[in-house]
Amino acid sequence: MNLFVLSLIGAVIILDKYAFGEFGISQPVVSGMIIGALFGDLASGIFLGAMLQLIFLGGLPIGRVIPPDGQAAGIIGCGSYFFIRPFNAAGHALFVAFVLALLGAIIGGIMELYTRRFNEKLSHLIMRKENCLSVCHLAGLVTAFLRGFFLFLPIFIVASSISIPALFPELSRESATIICVSIGLANGIYLFVKKTTIVYTIIGALCGLALTVF
Amino acid sequence: MRLSIDRFLKILLSTFFIQTSWSFFSMQGMGFLFNLIIGTSKEKKNQIMRTHRGFFNTHPYMASYIIGATIRAYDEQTPPEEIKKFVAVAQTSFASAGDLLFWQTIRPALLLIAVVLGIHYGIIGPLVFLVIYNILHLYHRAQGILDGYAMGWNVIYVLKARRFKMAQQIFEISGALFCGFLSALISFRVGYLLAIPLTILFTVMLLRRHPALLLLFIVLLIIIVFAVV
Repeated sequence: MNLFVLSLIGAVIILDKYAFGEFGISQPVVSGMIIGALFGDLASGIFLGAMLQLIFLGGLPIGRVIPPDGQAAGIIGCGSYFFIRPFNAAGHALFVAFVLALLGAIIGGIMELYTRRFNEKLSHLIMRKENCLSVCHLAGLVTAFLRGFFLFLPIFIVASSISIPALFPELSRESATIICVSIGLANGIYLFVKKTTIVYTIIGALCGLALTVF
Repeated sequence: MRLSIDRFLKILLSTFFIQTSWSFFSMQGMGFLFNLIIGTSKEKKNQIMRTHRGFFNTHPYMASYIIGATIRAYDEQTPPEEIKKFVAVAQTSFASAGDLLFWQTIRPALLLIAVVLGIHYGIIGPLVFLVIYNILHLYHRAQGILDGYAMGWNVIYVLKARRFKMAQQIFEISGALFCGFLSALISFRVGYLLAIPLTILFTVMLLRRHPALLLLFIVLLIIIVFAVV
């Protein structure tokens, strides 16, 4: 998979975040599946997507709040992993992919602020020229696409060109699972566990244990 | 009053673009204008532009209810001031209902289910999420336009309907259930006991409403510590 092509695909997927539809395709667990399928390793794509999803489970875009870009993190994390993995150890690839994903989420959030500020100019333009409503409004698709493309391309260039020395820290899948499940559980407890629902959490844990044992 | 199928489809398609040009100045203002102009006759364009130019913000899926009711009001030649008042009241009511239902309940619950199923059964997890989420989301988008157009101003009372409360309860329970499932994923291994203090730390941070950015930095730090150690 060419990094330019993956940046284009990523930029199309990220349109789903708010610019078109919001069908959930940009959620890390889904984008991880798509990118994994493109690289011919569905299992790793879903694993990475699922882990990153747990980190960004609670990011709620309510009102003017723009949380860190979890959707971009999913695309960056999975894409980077598959670019790094062929030339490096799995532990190294996982570590760098996670770091790039989390940094990408922060940079993506900042870029989103600027994109939305640019969209303000389109709003002001409509105040002056009423006839260009459709063009100005749909220009938002271009700004959202470019935001994604210019976020992904440099990160994928870095990911595909680095060679990690053997002494560099490695992140095992077990360690990644511990960290991500912890924050996923915290998000789940924060969102769902109340006096009225705690009994279902206990039932879920017991069912999970039973499934693991048998 | 009923919408024709081609008009309904045009409005439905346009609602997918409601947030396309989201900005801090007008939020979904341009998207709302775009939806109304697609859904009404060309003669009303100037009137709509004059009345609704500016701020509009609600939940993107629930906007359909307001769009349907507003288009009906324009079809019935309702005075623009009255329409503006309805839109101002309705957008906040539908925003809080939609945020609570979709952003805080349905989406995270289904994503939790997708993650648990994805880890155990692979592709089934994300597919289950996509199918169930889009059935619910498209239902609200489509039914919102139809209900809004059929009920007019009274569409605001839809928020009291049982289907909203039931959906919220069902997904809260599902979220809590799969939260339990997730905890079972990491049991039986000594190394995984580390998840307990980490979960407590993250839960405390979330309950104390620490900024998401700080939480992300802590996660990054923990990843580096785990990798180095």
